[in-house]
Amino acid sequence: MTTMKVYISEAQATENKVALDDMILTTKLPTTAGSRMLDDYRSLFDAEVVTRLETAGYEIAGKVNVGEFAIDLLGETSYYGPCEKDGLLTGAAAELLERDEVKAVVSLDVNGAPRRTAALAGLICIKPTYGTVSRYGTIPAACSGETICVTAGNAETCREILSVIVGHDCKDGTSLPEDACERLKTEAERTPVKKIAVAKAMEAAADEAVREKIEQLKTRAAKCGIEVIEIEAEELLLAKPAWNILMSAEVCNNVSRYDGIKFGYRTPHYEDIDELYTNSRTEAFGFLLKSTVLFGSDVLSTDNYWKAYDKSLRIRRVLSEYLNRIFGEVDAIVLPACGKEAYSGEMVKENPYIAYDESLFTAPSSITGYPALVTEGVQLMGNMFSENSLLDLALMFEKEGK
Amino acid sequence: MDQEALKRLERLNKLRLTEEETAAMLDYFQMQRRELESLHAVNTEQVERMVHVMPMTNIIREDKASQPFTREELQEGAPESYDGYWQVPRLVD
Amino acid sequence: MKYETVIGLEVHVELATESKIFCSCSAKFGAEQNEHVCPACCGMPGMLPVVNKRVVDLGMTAGMMLNCDINRVTTFDKKSYYYPDLPASYQTTQWFAPICVNGTVDIRTSAGEKKIRIKQIHMEEDAGKLVHDDWTDTSLVDFNRTSVPLIEIVSQPDLSSAEEVLAYLERLRDLLRFAKVSDCRWEQGSMRCDVNLSVRPEGSDVLGVRTEMKNMNSLSAIERAIEYETARHIDAIERGIGELVQETRRWDDIKGKSYSMRNKETAGDYRYFPDPNIMPVVIDDDWYDRIRASLPDFPEVKKARYMEELGLSEYDADQLIQSRAFCDVFEAAYAECGMAKEAANWLISDCASVLNKNQQTFDMLNINGKALGQLIRLVAEEKVSRGNAKRILAEMFKKDIDPEEFAKANGLILSNDTGAIEAVVKNVIVSDPKSVADYKGGKEKALMALFGKCMKELKGNCNPQVLRELLIKAINEE
Repeated sequence: MTTMKVYISEAQATENKVALDDMILTTKLPTTAGSRMLDDYRSLFDAEVVTRLETAGYEIAGKVNVGEFAIDLLGETSYYGPCEKDGLLTGAAAELLERDEVKAVVSLDVNGAPRRTAALAGLICIKPTYGTVSRYGTIPAACSGETICVTAGNAETCREILSVIVGHDCKDGTSLPEDACERLKTEAERTPVKKIAVAKAMEAAADEAVREKIEQLKTRAAKCGIEVIEIEAEELLLAKPAWNILMSAEVCNNVSRYDGIKFGYRTPHYEDIDELYTNSRTEAFGFLLKSTVLFGSDVLSTDNYWKAYDKSLRIRRVLSEYLNRIFGEVDAIVLPACGKEAYSGEMVKENPYIAYDESLFTAPSSITGYPALVTEGVQLMGNMFSENSLLDLALMFEKEGK
Repeated sequence: MDQEALKRLERLNKLRLTEEETAAMLDYFQMQRRELESLHAVNTEQVERMVHVMPMTNIIREDKASQPFTREELQEGAPESYDGYWQVPRLVD
Repeated sequence: MKYETVIGLEVHVELATESKIFCSCSAKFGAEQNEHVCPACCGMPGMLPVVNKRVVDLGMTAGMMLNCDINRVTTFDKKSYYYPDLPASYQTTQWFAPICVNGTVDIRTSAGEKKIRIKQIHMEEDAGKLVHDDWTDTSLVDFNRTSVPLIEIVSQPDLSSAEEVLAYLERLRDLLRFAKVSDCRWEQGSMRCDVNLSVRPEGSDVLGVRTEMKNMNSLSAIERAIEYETARHIDAIERGIGELVQETRRWDDIKGKSYSMRNKETAGDYRYFPDPNIMPVVIDDDWYDRIRASLPDFPEVKKARYMEELGLSEYDADQLIQSRAFCDVFEAAYAECGMAKEAANWLISDCASVLNKNQQTFDMLNINGKALGQLIRLVAEEKVSRGNAKRILAEMFKKDIDPEEFAKANGLILSNDTGAIEAVVKNVIVSDPKSVADYKGGKEKALMALFGKCMKELKGNCNPQVLRELLIKAINEE
């Protein structure tokens, strides 16, 4: 059964319609973060991306479902249920775009779900450089890495929407200065991608079908006159555990505000303040979120801070420096966006931590803030501010395919 | 990580796991312990920690006050409020 | 056996800013419940913290006043715990790199002078307030105080008696008020203090078991609590039973006792980590020098200068250094009129009485010191009478006026026009021959009656000296 919580306005034209995922706050529609905790929660203010889109003449046509606080595989942990088609998990953004009801979906990429959704559905997803799109008005989960991204059926649309939402915002203390953001605008100058490197350690971790997609992409790239090399890139394997530690700790801290007192869900079963807290949170939060909170709390404990959390902050620098070095030599790194061709609800039931396993492929970009593009079911990471070059590449592949 | 330590974590985070969840959670902790070893295989003694991926400093604002929302708006979604206050079970201090 | 008490203090001081530390809500005291609240400071998701620059300015100022080293790179961290007065369930504070470290404060007690070392000063946000309501038998939460900027001044355990603690707190209060870091009002909670105390045999270099009393909010309570805790510790040590445990205790000032708060799981792990949303604050030389240049002299330095250079009495100097605002107005007035004693009098008696009447503290004095100097000169030059000058001063409390312009516009300039005065004198003499005769007969008082009548006719706008001379002259010529 497919359940998808989408709110779509009546008008039919898709020309200027954009949907948001349910991590982005709007005053006109509820924002739930896919959690019972925020069932029917109404924000008093709009996210900066909403203001920018509306100012540019786009209509916020609706909200698409997300997994609880956007940390799962494909939205399957949403309080409103997963999006499934023929027994396979799809992701609400993919369904909506497939039905051609909106032009693009703007989402908060916390742990890679939008990139996986796009890869499985053959859509384009651009996750820009950290700090180029304001996070003001997004529900905080893992602030040090989460980034607003755009998913659409083609590269030109991604570019168009990205061009609208990038820019400095003084309400976000991590927002980059305007001159840095300018580099992502449609008209900005860019260098074409001439050399790409396949990350072998990453490729090896994926299923045959996914590796086949990478092979196809290599062939296409070669046809387009792009040099393709291979690198081991074993360093990238460090991103998964390190990002999981940072993300879990931040999620633990960020969702501690949901306590049944100020807004959102409050349990009917309580005698005292502790029961109010514990029952509200226990009843409203799902298992993946609970375990993320508990793990995140543990890595920040006095006993573990230095060996787990601080260690991961240092690994983040190791990875950033590694990528910086690689992007001195190549224009993009090719890696899977997810390890399998498809996922079923059964697989998640069997392994509730499947999102953790699959974050192997998305964590390198999440933890370092380097931009990533999903096209042809494959992920390409580029240098900081190389979004337009990556999108040009996607455009080239699109034309080549026709 | 054992059951008792996990119970402490649950109390600290105002959460309660079922027995089944506890078992899964303990497995997860064990898996993460192994994963952590892979991080410790990398020597980071000379590496500075990286809290922010963008090297920015001094993102500060001027000291100006404004009050864009009313108390009524802020308390519209409150589970319980009374006389302009958020309301909770009585605390003994 | 003889014992010594070892005390360290954590003093919380709310900073004198317009807005809160991470959002733009007003930080002013005294609003209706939850009027100074926005989505950010009631814990709603989506707003991001942006540091108030003034908080860093004042943090640095405090550090410099207390002889601290300023950390040129200072960062913010999150501290997690659940309590209804903490809306986000975390407090943003400074754990890894506080703004100031290694300071000293000199105190003076009956035993002489002593240096108290400061371990660190960090910036953080305040928590909200809980009201316990008997009518509904619930607790009510007010977030006005949430995110009001604070500094926490952590001393080394260098204090050894209630007297030293009080001297230290008074000194902190004087310095911080003087530097306009905070109004430091215990009764409004803008100054609060946690007392860490242990007792050990005199001469021992091993510290005893430490207890902490949180949120002490008056000097008298602190004094009583220290005496009570010291006695309790000594008693426990002498009885030799291990009943002393390291713990947080609550001081009940009405009962005069401290109570264990063991039932609360306060030993919780705060899980500090660097705030990913707040970039490091880097204090460059320009910023550092600007704050250094803005520091006031210490009160005692001002006092010495007022006495030695300006010739004020010790009493007057002491009165002025009670308040930085008084010093500022005094100095500006003196610079304008060059009359130190007069300027001091105007502040100590006249300004103080207006403030008292308005139920304002001395720190709330807000008049233009240069204008006060002009006013003093007008009186000295006998252009305005003392009585009318007070009326002008009252206007100066309401708005920034030019005293001379105001006096002219309102007919308060003393008349030196002898022709006009002589005409009035003549009329009065004619209308009251009895008083004239009485005066001539030797009754001095009769002159006062005539003088008063003239003054009334002239509506007070005449130089009394001139009037007196003209009056006597006219009577003698009669």
